[in-house]
Amino acid sequence: MSNAYIDQFPAEAKVIRAAFYSSFFALALGGVFGIIQTLHRTGYYRFIDSADYYTVLTAHGVFLVISFTIFFLVGIFTWAITTSLDRGVEDLRFTWGWYGLMAVGITLTGVAILAGFTDATDISASVLFTFYAPLQAHPLFYLGLVLFVVGTWFAGVDWFRSWWAWKAENPDERIPLPAFMVLTTMLMWYIATLGVAAAILLFLLPWSLGLIESVNPLLTRTLFWFFGHPVVYFWLMPAYMMWYVLLPKISGGKLFSDPLARVVFVLFLILSVPTGIHHQYLDPGIAEGFKFIAMTNTMFLLLPSLLTAFTVVASMEHGARQRGGEGYLGWLKALPWRDPVFAGMALAGLMFAAAGFSGMINAGMNINYLVHNTFWVVGHFHLTVGTAVALTFMAVTYWFLPQVTGKQLWSRSVALGQVVLWFVGMTFMSNAMHRGGLLGIPRRTAEPQYDGFEFEAAVGSVAELDAQIALGGVLLTLSLVLFFANVVGTALNGRSDDLPDNSYAGTLSGPEDAPQILDNLKLWTAIAVVLVIFAYTFPLLSIIDRGGLFGPELVELPLSTLDLESISALALAVEQSTIATLETTADTATAVIAGVIP
Amino acid sequence: MNIHAYEKLWLVAAMLLIVGFIATITYGSVALGITMVGDQQDTVEPTELADDDRFDDPRVEQVGENEYEAYVVAQTFSFQPNPIEVPEDSDVTFYVTSRDVIHSFSLVGTNVNTMVIPGEVAEMTVEFDDPAEYGVVCNEYCGPGHHDMEGEVHVVSEDEFDLTELEADGPDEVETGDEISVDVTTENRQLEAIETTITLEIGDETLTEDVTIEGGETLETTFTVDSATLGEGDHDWTVTVDDHTDSGTVTVADDLEDDGGDDDE
Amino acid sequence: MRISKGGLLVVLALLAPLLVELRTVLAWVNVELSVLESAAIGLILVVAIFVWAFWPDNGNDGPTSDSSPR
Repeated sequence: MSNAYIDQFPAEAKVIRAAFYSSFFALALGGVFGIIQTLHRTGYYRFIDSADYYTVLTAHGVFLVISFTIFFLVGIFTWAITTSLDRGVEDLRFTWGWYGLMAVGITLTGVAILAGFTDATDISASVLFTFYAPLQAHPLFYLGLVLFVVGTWFAGVDWFRSWWAWKAENPDERIPLPAFMVLTTMLMWYIATLGVAAAILLFLLPWSLGLIESVNPLLTRTLFWFFGHPVVYFWLMPAYMMWYVLLPKISGGKLFSDPLARVVFVLFLILSVPTGIHHQYLDPGIAEGFKFIAMTNTMFLLLPSLLTAFTVVASMEHGARQRGGEGYLGWLKALPWRDPVFAGMALAGLMFAAAGFSGMINAGMNINYLVHNTFWVVGHFHLTVGTAVALTFMAVTYWFLPQVTGKQLWSRSVALGQVVLWFVGMTFMSNAMHRGGLLGIPRRTAEPQYDGFEFEAAVGSVAELDAQIALGGVLLTLSLVLFFANVVGTALNGRSDDLPDNSYAGTLSGPEDAPQILDNLKLWTAIAVVLVIFAYTFPLLSIIDRGGLFGPELVELPLSTLDLESISALALAVEQSTIATLETTADTATAVIAGVIP
Repeated sequence: MNIHAYEKLWLVAAMLLIVGFIATITYGSVALGITMVGDQQDTVEPTELADDDRFDDPRVEQVGENEYEAYVVAQTFSFQPNPIEVPEDSDVTFYVTSRDVIHSFSLVGTNVNTMVIPGEVAEMTVEFDDPAEYGVVCNEYCGPGHHDMEGEVHVVSEDEFDLTELEADGPDEVETGDEISVDVTTENRQLEAIETTITLEIGDETLTEDVTIEGGETLETTFTVDSATLGEGDHDWTVTVDDHTDSGTVTVADDLEDDGGDDDE
Repeated sequence: MRISKGGLLVVLALLAPLLVELRTVLAWVNVELSVLESAAIGLILVVAIFVWAFWPDNGNDGPTSDSSPR
């Protein structure tokens, strides 16, 4: 009899499995759209209309950075809370409820996007992940996003309930590190999502329904970035958590410092949100001073990442020395490179270091002018969310899948090949993207080939860059195929009794070294809120003062073509039926679950 | 709190790096005077650009000896004016706004780059040195034809550069024996006077007039040609001032129905 | 074998960013490599790493059991 997660928490393992599979489904869709884009942009193979490219791009963005990442992280956060507090969720129906809400939400959004491919309906939402007004999506798109985000809010409530219940029983104990990480991340997420919730509920959804005439494009854009930058930390925090609590264990040692891990997460809670304006350095209508404040906050946000780099490498070295590693660099050889979980995370971390450097360029208010909205930025975030996060998630999947399915991993060798292939593919692709950006090649375009001028490459040629991107894209797609082969293969395996125990890394310097104040979540939340107020009140007031709350009269570009009345009628009908369906689904789900689970 | 000595060192180094970054950028902005796109300009009504004195006529204007202002409108899926022509060794301030959705105005391969948001006006000043041609792209997704949105900025040599606007009007048809008169309007938008020659070519005839146009002035000239010397038939005419041309066609007929001759461009 | 098979695979993978960046770095000192030349350098490095990895350790740990080339 093994002591894997599924043995300890069979019911929770089921929720996590559902979240993982939802996440992998999104990854598969996103991957398919990714290779279509790669081949289209570079001109190697164009089988869709260039106007449809933007539908593909919207789907690629939303499915990967919203559904893939967030479904995966709610899975590992549930694991982290239950494992570190050593208690099941408080109310399983509630847990399935938020999962259901997220699933329904992303389905609505996904349908609205994919409907853009067919002329059979007028529904469309080719507005990209950022949905900047006056581009207008079908109301379903916005509605789905709202439901999805509300689902994540309830997920947070679920984890806080567990913690409150645990605290009542263990009043004098420190919050276990994984739970601490989940709670601080969720607090950051609550603050961050207020921006996008306001943008959608107050402005974009009523506008798409025809209830208000117009919106202030700069205001909705600013509210988007209020959420849009911290969302990247929402993706990254779970990856950091894996580097802190899983990687040291896999390396064969312990986490170097628990207190500094807490400091890092507190810093992210405080500094993640008041930085969003750094995405708007080039926006007219926002004073330079506000941009400067955002930049300063952003630069200080480098600190927790630099601290993480130190702690993670130190923990790996400790692990390697426990395994008999010696010498200044010789210990590197003693690391378990054969283990895909380790190799994947280590390579992801290495690429994140490179991403950190391009991020520093992006953060520089003046040098940003050279790279803003160029292909460089795409290269940057394919290293961050596309590798630091995605590759870490794929690597830890090889540890989590046996834990939550109770089945042996189908093939460790294929898994190792997969993570290495991802690293190599991303090297080719993101390098060429960065270099292309420096030449001025724009991001987000179906055909970066122009009539009036050509991009001049400093080294090599644009054709070589295109070839490099296409090669990278093909390798990444191949890597995804191997990943899914392993997921499916594992799912088809029989139940195994010989699985590693469910546990996470111990610490060299434990929580007893961490000042008590670090666990004062109320204090850190209050500071975070104050900083947000400080960073955002004046910019928002000034934007509203300049352009009005509902903006000037606009020439909107609806990407779905219905007349307004039928849109509103349809949307209202959909809204009502969705709510009704949701209620019945939730009821049925709870009934089913109550029946299935003793 | 128990922090390892190496980790303390690392922390200090990290802080120094961060403060260093902020310092260099502060230096760039305070000491070197690099300004960012900000909120210098008043807002506009995107649907009423035709009535706005800044954007009713997208153009390049001279405002000082080597100082120019370019008023640019971005819209799905083009830039106006296009190409934008400015002289070498000049300081050009761009004012860019959008008629519809969010665009960008980005000079390829340079750091001249701004978002263009409807209702807002982006302002930035650029020093151009040597003659060159720059591509302009919209690097923010603006709809299904986004990839076709492009423009050009031409930095031309002092000799080639002018801000002359030429417009010529002539009749469509005249009866043989009547006079053909072509009205030429030449506007000098530069601050300094220009000396130039206005030329009309029609059939085998070439008429010229040497003129001096003061800065900011408009000159009206009329060329008159006897249709009899051209003979019956269609005659193309071209008016040339420096590199600018305008042309039209006039029909000379013996027996003209009296339907009047409207302007032709 | 001087390095584990997993380690060898990772070392080979790390060659990719090295080679890709090498072109840019060399361009600074006015050495322009073509794609083919880069690939050739890559091949040489791969062979060198293989030779190093499979070269018997200075005889201090007896016969290496899995030194069969892949």
